[in-house]
Amino acid sequence: MSVVDYSQELSVIEGRPPLRSIDELISKPLDSKPDKKFYIALSITLTMLITGVICLAFTFYYGIGLWGNNNPVGWGFAIINFVFWVGIGHAGTLISAILFLLRQKWRTGIARFAEGMTIFAVMTAGLFPLIHVGRPWLAGYLFPYPNQHSLWPNFISPLLWDVFAVSTYFTVSLVFWYVGLIPDLAVLRERAKTKIKKIVYSIFSLGWRFSNRHWQHYERVYLILAGFATPLVLSVHTIVSFDFAVSILPGWHSTIFPPYFVAGAVFSGFAMVQNVLIFVRKIFNYEHIITVDTLEKMNKIMLVTGSMVGYAYIMEFFIAWYSGVPTETFTFINRAFGPYMWAYWIMFSCNVIFPQLFWIRKIRRNIPAMFVIAVLVNVGMWFERFVIVITSLSRDFLPSSWAYYKPTLVDLGILLGSFGFFFTWILLFTKALPVVSIAEVKAVIDGSQPSHEAD
Amino acid sequence: MNNSFTLEYHKKELPKKLNIVGLTLFLVGLVIIIFGYIVNPVRTAFNNIILLTFLISLGAGSLFLIAIEYVAGAVWSTPFRRVPEILSFALVIVPIFAVPLFFNLHNVFEWTHPQAFKNDVLMEAKAPYLNTTFFILRSIAFFAVWIFFFILLFKNSVKQDFTKEQLLTKKNIIISAVFLPIFAFSLSFSSFDWLMSLAPHWYSTIFGVYYFAGTVLCALAASTIIIVLLNEKGYFVDGLGGDHYYSLGALMFAFINFWAYIAFSQFLLIWYANLPEETFWFLQRWEGNWKFVSIGLIFVHFVVPYFALLSQPSKMDPKRLLFISIWILFAHIYDLYWMIIPTFSKEGIIFGWIEIGFPLFTLGLLIMLFVLISKKINLVPIGDPKLKRGIDFKL
Amino acid sequence: MNEKRLYSYTGIFNTPNEIIHAAKKIAEKGFKNYDIHTPYPLHGMEKAMKLKPSKIGYVSLVLGLSGAISAILTLFWMAAIDYKLVIGGKPFFSFPAYIPITFEITVLSASVITVLVMLFIFFKLPNNSHPLHATDYMKKVSSDKYGVSIQADDPLFNEEEVKSLLKSLNASDITPIYFNEEEINYKHVLLEPKFVGFLVLVALFTSATTYFTLNKLMYMVPFNWMDEQAKVIPQQPSKIFADGFGMRQPVNGTVARGQIPFLYKNNPDEAAKDLVNPLLPSVENLKLGEQKFNIYCSPCHGYHAEGDSRLQGQFPNPPSLHSEKVRNWSDGRIFYVITEGQNIMPSYATQLTPEERWAVILYIRALQRSLNAKESDLK
Repeated sequence: MSVVDYSQELSVIEGRPPLRSIDELISKPLDSKPDKKFYIALSITLTMLITGVICLAFTFYYGIGLWGNNNPVGWGFAIINFVFWVGIGHAGTLISAILFLLRQKWRTGIARFAEGMTIFAVMTAGLFPLIHVGRPWLAGYLFPYPNQHSLWPNFISPLLWDVFAVSTYFTVSLVFWYVGLIPDLAVLRERAKTKIKKIVYSIFSLGWRFSNRHWQHYERVYLILAGFATPLVLSVHTIVSFDFAVSILPGWHSTIFPPYFVAGAVFSGFAMVQNVLIFVRKIFNYEHIITVDTLEKMNKIMLVTGSMVGYAYIMEFFIAWYSGVPTETFTFINRAFGPYMWAYWIMFSCNVIFPQLFWIRKIRRNIPAMFVIAVLVNVGMWFERFVIVITSLSRDFLPSSWAYYKPTLVDLGILLGSFGFFFTWILLFTKALPVVSIAEVKAVIDGSQPSHEAD
Repeated sequence: MNNSFTLEYHKKELPKKLNIVGLTLFLVGLVIIIFGYIVNPVRTAFNNIILLTFLISLGAGSLFLIAIEYVAGAVWSTPFRRVPEILSFALVIVPIFAVPLFFNLHNVFEWTHPQAFKNDVLMEAKAPYLNTTFFILRSIAFFAVWIFFFILLFKNSVKQDFTKEQLLTKKNIIISAVFLPIFAFSLSFSSFDWLMSLAPHWYSTIFGVYYFAGTVLCALAASTIIIVLLNEKGYFVDGLGGDHYYSLGALMFAFINFWAYIAFSQFLLIWYANLPEETFWFLQRWEGNWKFVSIGLIFVHFVVPYFALLSQPSKMDPKRLLFISIWILFAHIYDLYWMIIPTFSKEGIIFGWIEIGFPLFTLGLLIMLFVLISKKINLVPIGDPKLKRGIDFKL
Repeated sequence: MNEKRLYSYTGIFNTPNEIIHAAKKIAEKGFKNYDIHTPYPLHGMEKAMKLKPSKIGYVSLVLGLSGAISAILTLFWMAAIDYKLVIGGKPFFSFPAYIPITFEITVLSASVITVLVMLFIFFKLPNNSHPLHATDYMKKVSSDKYGVSIQADDPLFNEEEVKSLLKSLNASDITPIYFNEEEINYKHVLLEPKFVGFLVLVALFTSATTYFTLNKLMYMVPFNWMDEQAKVIPQQPSKIFADGFGMRQPVNGTVARGQIPFLYKNNPDEAAKDLVNPLLPSVENLKLGEQKFNIYCSPCHGYHAEGDSRLQGQFPNPPSLHSEKVRNWSDGRIFYVITEGQNIMPSYATQLTPEERWAVILYIRALQRSLNAKESDLK
């Protein structure tokens, strides 16, 4: 058995690069003109986006009769995609906040990117409720302002909690992201060659000057923000799970939903972050900053959260039987062996079985293998929402109104468009802002901190 | 590969009088328990479940803490790891306290009565699970699994004191990784068995997680109490405190929040959906003066420890940390009392000499256990490769 | 005046250990107005510089608590006081269901405002006119060097001593930083034309968008063919018919279902002769007649049909129904009066169905009988 030396701390950044090279490396994509590959990628994502926009335009023109929603299944792709994308966002906050609280230094290389993904994913997710309500410009009624009806929103509706949770989550993530960006923007300001860049960076870096009198408060605020973001991220997906769980529909009303949804969200989010980072580290030559060790740790987290999701599946199944309630028992048997059995087993195998391959160290560290598994995880997590929403609705209490739900091409087009939307933002992000936190990476390079002898 | 690092550690014996205190408490408690079983066997049996689940919390929770340290590669807790290791020794004696219950199942569990299944569709469905034979088999299996993993982890850890082999750490990491999923299921199912099935109609998918949150808090609080007491008296090595205390406090703080989150989720979903087969469990705890116990739980288990642990100094100051840990340990017993006793006494709170006897007994038992085992092994895992990093740990 | 004044002396160090050492030495000397600039936060710098622990945690605690309390109070006022609405059988003030929103508001206020407080009150940013900006020193400390800047306004500041102190600490690039009096003392004027112009633009834009949203967008119909169906809409014209009316007259002679036409207009005698009360004087019919009589007839004729109504004196007094004339009228004659009216009595055909009219007649007969009972009635 080969043994790692446990008495030594592993370096987070490989090869002890000089600090100045970090500046150069990370600001390189911003200083250079986008190359051909960038345009090819952008055209692909824009095509996807436009497909989605066209499908949406059709939907707005002809109405949601174009979707697959039918009578018992009133909630179709819109809510599935909403939950999926909100979930993707969760990994970003987990990496930037929870791992920060746990003092995991390896997060520094990936935190900025994951936070960016959080923001874009929440933006993508936010589109779906807007589409689904039919008249997006009336969304203002969801906020408690003294309107002409002198009526207040229904504060005990989980859908209203969603409004508060998602908008708070978006705002706080944005602030968290921006706070982290300020020192990096100041670095870019000092490096700026052209006047316009200098002005723009000066405005957005707010005149940051690397003062240690500032760093002191800054670090404390970062800790506080992480402390707030952690319960916030839990609350967001918890509230999303309440959308289902407060009802009395079998298969939805389950007390384990809150932690189970959170675990699932982190799970799929990590898979997405890992997928994108595999490209980023290759294209921008960040292999020594986003090391294989980092990816391996992400895979371990996927293994853990995937197993948590598996625990929830099994508990739900057991309790559905243990409860003795016939409808509960039926719903779960129907899920696994009913008409949507294909979806259930895609979900189960992608979320629970394939990630177990990460027990093997070789697979954990093999980039193509982990890429494939993470893609499967995202497929599985999308299907998890599909299974939860569709199977419970399509066969509820009244057998005479059972119906089979089938998505239409428009549904699929909108789903594709959401991916296009998300990845377009990601691509623009890589060219507009430093995708790795300069200050944080510098702080964890070996030898960048005073040694204890200096005390 | 061996660990080259050597540490100056002089083992100090725990004071003799501790053993006497432990023995006295143990005997007083034992007398009360035996007397209780003669006078009021039903009530005593219910209290016995509190004792049993508390010891499971302590033992299995400590084992979980050890496993998570290995798997996560944490270093700050390594210097103290012996404390949870000794506490998880409780797992070996837990089965003894299940024995009186096995003879009293009829007094405690409604589902042991055949008429409970008559004319009751919901109950008929669970007959294959809720029956005495399977119940006892499950309990024995869970105890066996926990003891098995405890012995594996404990043996390797103690062996490392002498051999200083890094391979043992690696072995323990693998054992821990295997243990964690098994732990998740065994703990959940034993919580279903001992706690949830007290009200056999009631079910909640989150219940295992709820009990797990309490378990970890219990183990953490008990470990922290012992760590702070021993460290302040210098039983460990130099250089511990401050940031180490902070980490313990922060972990407790995190789990206080986690417990509140899980408890709230369970309550809100049942309250909101208002299904008769679920709500009765909470309604029972809202009847008569149980209402005050239920409201008290929020304060005892969440509000007070939350604000007590919120600020950074309170996590670092040994005195405050000690106080909060004792509080949290009490809160876990309070939680168990709240889960178990309303099934026995539906009308209102009961509290008497039987209820006092069990904690005295437990305390005495744990003190004796700790003194006994700490005689045989070092209080610091001196052969652990992570020890140096653990002592040097700075936030 | 474009006088340059000394702001500070700066020195550059190459390693983190050196800068920690330097910070300690400078703090020990008793300097107050100095600063250390590093590209990233250094562990232990707080202690070396002898800074007090950051108090910003208390700011967010206060903000968080006030956010929580105000959220709970607002929800309580809105749902349990201002507009009470039973939803899902839950109490007006459903505390457990308010926890999610309260929590979100708490986090929002505590985190976002804390950041604003830190940036704009603690750090007094944005500040791009600080003397250290646009210097070589800033370029270096932003990248890979660690710098010290001892300010000239420190009470202990002495140019030569500071220089030698920095030299003794092995600092390189010891340079003075100058600043422009005007630049640093520049006061932001609130009514600067540019700023006012900007505000006006913002105001115009927001009011225009608000107007558009509230008055146009809100009433825009996204698709409207459900409204434009090829069907006749009541009260609307229609091009299909020559006369342009959407609503059509029924065919002549059409009788609505269940309706018996009244053929005795202006012909009371015929009516008296032909019409026979179809109802039997059962209890139900009399009850119905009493009810209708009390509603429609009693205001003028009085509850006992004696003409002693509540409206006496306001109109020509209505006649008593106990008169010889009325008693001798046939049922059909009374029916005619109710249907067609008499003198100033209007027609009650719209208020009373034929059946109800007959019932009323039954009741009138009963009333008449009560004042003129026959001997046989007593038996």
